[in-house]
Amino acid sequence: MNEQLRPLSLLCELTYRCNLQCPYCYNPLDLRAYRDELTTGQWRSVLQAAADLGVVQAHFSGGEPTLRSDLVPLVEAAAACGLYTNLITQGTFLDDELLDRLVDGGLNHVQISIQAPQAALADRIAGAIVHDKKADALRRVLTREVALTLNCVLHRLNHDSIEEVIDYAQRLGIRRLELANVQFYGWAYRNRVALMPTLEQVRHGEDVVAAARERLHGSMEIVYVLPDYFGDFPKPCMNGWGRQFITVTPNGYALPCPAAAGITTLAFENVRDRALGDIWRDSASFVRYRGTDWMPEPCRSCERRELDWGGCRCQAYLITGDPGVTDPACSLSPDHASIASLREETSGAEPVYRRA
Amino acid sequence: MKPTACPRFGKGVKLRHDGNGSVMLLIPEGALVLNAPAAAALELVDGTRPLVEIVAAVAARFDVTADRAGEDLSELFERLEQRGLLQ
Repeated sequence: MNEQLRPLSLLCELTYRCNLQCPYCYNPLDLRAYRDELTTGQWRSVLQAAADLGVVQAHFSGGEPTLRSDLVPLVEAAAACGLYTNLITQGTFLDDELLDRLVDGGLNHVQISIQAPQAALADRIAGAIVHDKKADALRRVLTREVALTLNCVLHRLNHDSIEEVIDYAQRLGIRRLELANVQFYGWAYRNRVALMPTLEQVRHGEDVVAAARERLHGSMEIVYVLPDYFGDFPKPCMNGWGRQFITVTPNGYALPCPAAAGITTLAFENVRDRALGDIWRDSASFVRYRGTDWMPEPCRSCERRELDWGGCRCQAYLITGDPGVTDPACSLSPDHASIASLREETSGAEPVYRRA
Repeated sequence: MKPTACPRFGKGVKLRHDGNGSVMLLIPEGALVLNAPAAAALELVDGTRPLVEIVAAVAARFDVTADRAGEDLSELFERLEQRGLLQ
């Protein structure tokens, strides 16, 4: 195996259960198919196998990972393998007791998401009355020996509040803020006509972020995730298929990308049936789009082929039905016109809330 | 960062040594691969050792002048400080 092809990051999607119903969720629509969750022992084996492969960071996410009663022992197990541990949560269950146990267990970083800076809008997007609880969780984390990122996913319903999100973060004393334009997979893809930001919102957002970065230089780091459908080039999804990232779903499937289960033309393998290292090295699904040999034109001869790796396979599949073509988000893609029509196909209709 | 300042790592920042001798700085949602002088400098970060002492140790170890090491390391430490990775 090429030394470069060492996974660095493992995303453990512990459960897809969640007490919120955000319509921008990237989780798959068929949530019920994932109820046969891995046991504590199986997750421990996954963590050890990942560490043996060279993974350095374990991210615990979902769904809502704090709904797993074994989250603390799993964080402890990851830390015992030498892994950096990150909890990606919406924070509604992060009380003092759980937080202390997590930090004592070796948790290094927490990412808490809010749906909007105003309670009424946030609770409307979440489909639950939870905004104030999140502020409590954020304050609690700030007092502990653990790093914190505040995340807000941006879409048409909250994009106009981007400045208020930054103010909210500043008032709380947040050091690291992630403003992530919604990516259209799973529930978000289903709800794209309701969630698609307008071009004006996107441009305004860029200006606000640029000004805030200058104003807050040295006191707040702002990570801005660009919108998928508005650029000239696609995102370097996962830094290339099967190059650095492994996702394991609640029921044990190993995926090169958290959205990959949506690609029904590929057969993914399960850690219950095969060792994670073998899946990583030579399963058909991980090998299929690894590197550059699989690329069609215009990627194959493109000077950006090792910058954006052809973009996102899941997006290519969702939009064209073929995961092996250039990501239509790329302006050089022959399918790029589909992106423009998706971008313009918007409506004020209510989104469909995520539910099992 | 002043030469007399004693840097320490921010929350959620960890140095990691790999079996093959490479050193990474693990940070919230990322990892920075360090070259040998940067790794040597960050290994000395403990909240009690002043920057000037770290620079001198790295200069001696890599056989460069303290001025040269100071320039390179100040820039690195400055960048890490701005991102909250060093305090």
